[in-house]
Amino acid sequence: MQILLVEDDISLAEGLLKALRRDGFTVNHVANGAAALHSLESDTPDIMALDLGLPDMDGLDVLRRVRIKHPDLPVLLLTARDTLEDKVSGLDRGADDYLVKPFEMPELLARLRVFERRISTSASSEIQVGDVCLDTAKHQVLVNGTLIDFSRREYMLLKALMENAGRIQTRASLESSLYSWGEEVASNAIEVHIHNLRKKLVPDFIKTVRGVGYTVKKT
Amino acid sequence: MSSIRIFLIVVILSIMTLGVFISALHGYRSGILNAQKIFDSELADTAQLLSVVREAYHPGDTAALETTRYLFQIWQGGTLLLRSANAPAILIAPLKSGFHDRNFDNHRWRTYSLFDEITSHWVITAERLDIRNSLAENIVLDSVIPVVVLLPVLAVVIWIVVGRGLAPLERLANVLGHKRADDLSPISLKYQPVELKRLTISANDLLLRLKASFEREKQFTANAAHELRTPVSALKIHLHNLAQELPEGDDRLQALVMETDRMGHLIEQILALHRTTNDQFIANFTVLDLYTLVQDVIVGEYALLEEKNQQLEFRGVNRQLRGDQFALETLMQNLLGNAFKYTPEGGSILVTITGTGNALLLRVEDSGPGIPADEYERVFNRFQRVGGDRNASSVPGCGLGLSIVRQIVELHQAEITLGRSEELGGLSVSIVFSGGSVPESDEKNSA
Repeated sequence: MQILLVEDDISLAEGLLKALRRDGFTVNHVANGAAALHSLESDTPDIMALDLGLPDMDGLDVLRRVRIKHPDLPVLLLTARDTLEDKVSGLDRGADDYLVKPFEMPELLARLRVFERRISTSASSEIQVGDVCLDTAKHQVLVNGTLIDFSRREYMLLKALMENAGRIQTRASLESSLYSWGEEVASNAIEVHIHNLRKKLVPDFIKTVRGVGYTVKKT
Repeated sequence: MSSIRIFLIVVILSIMTLGVFISALHGYRSGILNAQKIFDSELADTAQLLSVVREAYHPGDTAALETTRYLFQIWQGGTLLLRSANAPAILIAPLKSGFHDRNFDNHRWRTYSLFDEITSHWVITAERLDIRNSLAENIVLDSVIPVVVLLPVLAVVIWIVVGRGLAPLERLANVLGHKRADDLSPISLKYQPVELKRLTISANDLLLRLKASFEREKQFTANAAHELRTPVSALKIHLHNLAQELPEGDDRLQALVMETDRMGHLIEQILALHRTTNDQFIANFTVLDLYTLVQDVIVGEYALLEEKNQQLEFRGVNRQLRGDQFALETLMQNLLGNAFKYTPEGGSILVTITGTGNALLLRVEDSGPGIPADEYERVFNRFQRVGGDRNASSVPGCGLGLSIVRQIVELHQAEITLGRSEELGGLSVSIVFSGGSVPESDEKNSA
């Protein structure tokens, strides 16, 4: 997994390089927008981590120019700006995710893992949470090593929860990952699927946060 | 002089009183003088009238007169031909033409002697001076007294007029007096006299400079905090790298990590504080769905909750509200952050949104230790924590959270109250958004 890191703060960049390399990423570092664009011409990375406050040009301009030639390149914005407008304009210009400084290293790694899975060049297509192992390539779920049969919707629901282990998924966000636009959704559809999933999984694997949604505890 | 009004009234009234009295005195004196002249000519005319009668008098005759004010005598040679009944039988004035002042009959008299050449009669008329003087005085006083009596009336009129003249000053004072401490917008008054315009212009100028200097200070703090984010990020990552190199279970970096987090937290809180003190703030309000907003914040902050194995429940109605999304998110993050921090392992947190009429109530309750009632007001102060720096919870914090919350609450014209949670026994924070909520009841109590 090759990452292009665009960050003008040398100390921060050095720390990131070290941390990311330890976690098995190949990282190239440039310190300004022009160098980033130049580097993209010769070599396309798998993921780009872009700081918005660059010395030579605005990070959002870099993003706009990158998008012309590389519409599918996953871009993670790293920034000290955090107002709502900054977030919205960053995501509007085609950033895939947004991380506000100062961030936790595990948080950055988690976001990169999501990218990794999305572009499915990950060495492993398995997501392991506790005793449950979900294989996104084979569409299989193993509970305590035993293969369990799930319906398509149940599998998608479990995948959405496990991919975001440690985070709450609201009913609305689960509905949107299970059903396409315009599809009729019964008001208690998610509850019914969760109920069925629980019967097949280890007890308390899926936790309810009343009034908010469901979560799978990260281990 | 502490009051312009009283100063003006006292000075104007004093000058007027003095003027009135001087003119009254002058009027009195010249009035008396004029009256004397008139009375004198009356006396002379009467003598003239008596002299032209030219009757053959029998010496010793008297003529009855109905008045005590006048008397007369008519002499021929050394003989008294005729006298008024009230006149004495002796000569009352020298036989010399003209006016004389004489004393007789226990009174002072003004006399006039006239010689008629045809009959060679001396006609003497006399008038009692005390009666004449009191008559003259009455006439003069009648014209002077009204001016003196009018003085209090004038005082009242002046009082009112001065009051009206000073009214713009009063209005300006009111406008300035009712300004909120953080309102540095220029003053504008509809009617402004020239004299006050200068004052208003200087006051506005001062306000502008004050505002600019506040802005600079705010901007500086915000910029400084902002610039600190990158080094704190670097610090965190270097610490992370260092921790990776240490053997498993070595927690020598723990304190360093905690202090770095604390510094990062403080920077974030200072930024939040300064972002929500913007004048443009209210102008940027939009219609928001409070239910979704609260849900999103819970989702965002859930990792913290998971760490301490706490139970969270959210009950709410879907109601809309006019406000600033970012600020309300910050508010909710701070309230939840406090609940997470001060509620022990395995504790419970309850978030509710209820709507009654036009009002919307957001409440965050927990099963933590709560805050003693006498500290409720104090915890809203900046850098103030329950129990001071030696906060018993041993939870890192900077004491800005609730003051940020209150600031956001005030910007939304809402009200915040602290209390004891009836359901969970810990702290209960209630925020009532009164105006600006858009009714749309759709009970959401799923999941």
